[in-house]
This record gives sequence, structure tokens and C-alpha cells, in this order.
Amino acid sequence: MSAIVAASPARPTLVRAVCVREWREALGNKLLVGMTLLPPVVILATGVLAVGAAAINPPSERDVQALYAAAPAAAGLDPKEAVQGFIATYFLILFMLIPTVVPLTMAIYSVIGEKSARTLEPLLATPVGVGDLLFAKSLASTVPSVLVTWLAYAIYLTSVIALGSHAAQNAVTAPRWILAIVVMVPLLTLLSVNLGILISTRVNDVRVAQQIGGLVVVPVVALGIAQVTGRVVLDNGAFLQMSAFLIVVDVAVFWLAKVAFQRENILVRWR
Amino acid sequence: MNTVLRTDKLTKRFGELVAVDGIDLEVREGEVFGFLGPNGAGKTTTLRLLCALIGPTSGSAEVAGFRLGRDDPKIRASVGILTEQPGLYERQSAWENLIFYATLYGLTSSEASSQAERYLRLMGLWERRTEPVATFSRGMKQKMAIARAALHEPRILFLDEPTTGLDPDAAKTVREFIVQLRGQGRTVFLCTHNLDEADRLCDRIAFFRRNVIRIADPDELRAELYGRATEIRLLPSPRPEDLALVRAVPGVREARFENGSIIVASADPLRTNPQLIRALIEGGAQIAFVTERKPHLEDVYLKIVEPLE
Repeated sequence: MSAIVAASPARPTLVRAVCVREWREALGNKLLVGMTLLPPVVILATGVLAVGAAAINPPSERDVQALYAAAPAAAGLDPKEAVQGFIATYFLILFMLIPTVVPLTMAIYSVIGEKSARTLEPLLATPVGVGDLLFAKSLASTVPSVLVTWLAYAIYLTSVIALGSHAAQNAVTAPRWILAIVVMVPLLTLLSVNLGILISTRVNDVRVAQQIGGLVVVPVVALGIAQVTGRVVLDNGAFLQMSAFLIVVDVAVFWLAKVAFQRENILVRWR
Repeated sequence: MNTVLRTDKLTKRFGELVAVDGIDLEVREGEVFGFLGPNGAGKTTTLRLLCALIGPTSGSAEVAGFRLGRDDPKIRASVGILTEQPGLYERQSAWENLIFYATLYGLTSSEASSQAERYLRLMGLWERRTEPVATFSRGMKQKMAIARAALHEPRILFLDEPTTGLDPDAAKTVREFIVQLRGQGRTVFLCTHNLDEADRLCDRIAFFRRNVIRIADPDELRAELYGRATEIRLLPSPRPEDLALVRAVPGVREARFENGSIIVASADPLRTNPQLIRALIEGGAQIAFVTERKPHLEDVYLKIVEPLE
């Protein structure tokens, strides 16, 4: 008999193995790679072009009046600067859509892909705990999504600075937006990933899961519209409150995903 | 032999449905244990219970020295399972698949590499280790799945229909592998519908339908149900006086003509057959063949399981 002794692997080893496997699998799926990269590329390119266009073209009097009405804080600024700052802020709100859309797709593929390929049973037959497996799967979808969002933000920031508008620079580097990018992006990503996993436990079709999961963007878009139209003012305090709220929601959704992600449920009830 | 698996009234219910109804099993270390039953009998559920993939509703089990429900991760580390579907990561290579699973079974990097190489060579897949599994045939995928199940050298290997859908060459590789495992003292729990395979490989067989109906050595079961029979083919063909000679031999219970042969049933063929042959030769008969006549395991299976259908 062999001297090999099997046992549960250490959690970092498990996380690394699951992440590497999932990323290899994802990189081999051109559709998934496309769906992961398209939203940040479109938002980034449109944002940079819009801020650049505002730097080149002076705004009309009507635009300026509309802007002052929507954002009274901009009233004292140079009209061109004010429009650039306004556009830069608007696209930062769109950046918050990246951590809701990108990881959702990855998480859905991660679970529904395993369901349709029937790879879950051998996976669950290993000594690995399902909680650890869920954690590893969550991280495998969260890490690339957060990195993609941060990379897109870094390119956006560099581009805005290069365009030379002080108002736009101030908007993009405002403490509340730094907080949003550094803290809220990972929290939104985790929420989206665990919602994706939860939905995938009940649905077998990637498109259906994406349609249901797509609802997660609604609150973000609604908040963005409310701010752009001046209905709510998102100051530093509001961002802190939203971050705290997201932490609570993240914990609740992870717990729900963990309840759904049980060995017996997966093998007997998931169809 | 030590007992490596023992269940005591192990039961699994899904709502009103009783999938496994209080089974009592004992599997010995180093044996190939066959598990036969009709579709929907609860074989897969039993396998999942014994591999600690699902929990029992009542009853208890000890698998590889560990208690079901209390030591589940240890049970999963001590057993290997070949599921009905190979369930491999198709975009990844054979090597990557095995290394991933070796890591999940807690093997070190060097152990993972050496075990992956060992089993890929054993299954004849070493030359194709870098190719994506999606390019493999059904038989190659099945061999990959068996390699994955055995990678961490489990004490008990649960194989669910291991040769289904395989060509004769691949099926032979799998059967030889099972024999090799037994030679190493490993226990194999074999679920199969292939009765010929069960007959060739299994030391003991459990006939199952929600509950274990019977556990026995296939040859002992045949002897019990059908007696032990010998077929004697004579040249040019048996004569009535040959049948009379056979019937006169002490120990012969029954003798009859069948398709140009004489079929002889006796309680102890090892003692009776030499006397039979001597009597026939002395009586002037020309013997072409003397063979043991085994009823097919299918007949045994149907005789045991069919009355419950």
C-alpha cells in the first residue's frame, strides 16, 4: 500500500487551486472573456472621450444653466470646467456598474458551468468543506472583477489628469470616490458574485441567470440618476453609510449562498 | 480479513420516498464487492451515503475506520468515487485535471506530480497528458475519471458502472486495473449492470433493491440455487447406455441428455467426476470434453431479484 495520506488541503492552497482552475477555464471561454472586458472598456472609452470632448468644445449657455440648476455647487466655477467635472463624476457612477455586471457573469458561469458539465459531484467527493469551496469560488470571480475595475479607474484617472481639467481631476480624486473605488467596489463585487451563485443554484440557463442577476444594477443606476438630476446629494457621509449597508447585505447574501451551497442540496435538489 | 466498511440499518428517505431501507453490509478489506440491482434500486444513493456525500436519515455506518456523520471529511479522504458521469474539466488538460484533484486531496506538489504521472501511464494516457480532455474519446475520459478516483490511493474505491460505454479494449484496461487494485490489497465496491463483469471480478456480490436481499460468493450462490453440474460431450454422440453408466455412479443426483451432451448434477463434482470419466471410458465411450456447467449470473440475478419486482 502507498504512503500517500489524503486530507483536506490548507485553505490558501485550496483557494489558489480553485482560482487557478477557474481562471484557466474562464480564459478558455472567449464569450466569457468578451463579456468580462466589454463593459469596462466601453465605459472607460466613452468616459475619456466625453471628458475630452468637453475640454475641446465650449458648452452652450443652455447646457451651463441646466448644469447649475442640477448641481448648485458648480455655480461658481468656470462653465467649461464645471461641465468637465460634471461629466467626469457621471462616468464615475457608471464605473460602479462594472463590479455589478462583470463578476455576476463570472460567478454564473462558475456554478452553472459546473452543473452542466457534471463536475460538481467529483468536486464534492473530495475532503474539502463546501464553505471553503464557496469562499474560493467567490474569490475566483471577485478578484479579477475588482482588478479590472481598479485598472479601468486608474486609466480613467490618468486620462482625466492628462486632459488638464482641474474640476474633472477634483471630481475623480474626491475622497468619497476614492472610498467608493477602494471599498465599495469590492463590496459590490462580492454582493454580485454571491447573488450570482444563489441564482445559479436554482437556474440552469446562463442567459436566464444573467437576466435575473441583472436586476442588481437597478439600485446603482437609480442612485446615479438621482444624483445627476440633483435629487440626492452623495457626500462623504452618504458613501460611508452605503458602504456600511453593503457590508451587512454582503454578509446576509453570503450566508444565504452558503445555505443553498450544501452537499446534499447540490447533489439531490439542484437540477 | 478486516472489515473495511460496515453499515447498520442505514436508511435514506427523501420525503415520503424511501431510497435506501435499513441496509446491513459488511465489506472486507482487499475484496472486490459487487453491488447489483435494477435501475432505481437506490445504488447511487447508497454510494453517495457511503462516500459521505449525503447524510443518512437513520442508521449508522463505519467507512475505512471512520464514523459516517462524525468523520465525513476523513471518509472522503479515505475513499475514491467514480461517478456515473466522468465530470472532467473539458477545457483543461489531463495533467491539469489530475493535479487539481490531487491538490484538493491534500497531496503535496511532488506527490501530486508523481501520482498524476503514475496513473496517466497506467491508463495509457501519458502521451496525451497536455491535450484538453474535450479532445478525448468516451473511453479515455472514463479512464481519466478512474485515475482521478484512485489518485490519492484510497482504501476503498467506489466504481459506478466503470465500463459502461467503453470499447472492449478500454473495458479490458479498466478490468485489469480493478484486478491490480485487489492485488494491492485495495477494496473495490463495484456497482454494475454488467453481470459477466461482476462474475469475473467480484469476490462477493450483494443483490440490492432498496435493501440488501442477499450477499454471497457468486459460485456458492450458483451451487446453492442450481446445484453443481458437469457437461460431458461424447463422440460421436451419447448413447442411452452411456446415460445409464453415468446414473449408476455413486453421488450422481441427476443425469440427462441436452444438445448432444450429458448434463450431470452431483453434490460433490470433485469426487464424482473422476469416477464418471472412468466408468464412461471402461464402458467404451469416447469423451471429447468435460466442462463445469455454470448457470449464467443473469439467471441467478433474475431468480433473486425478479420475485421482488
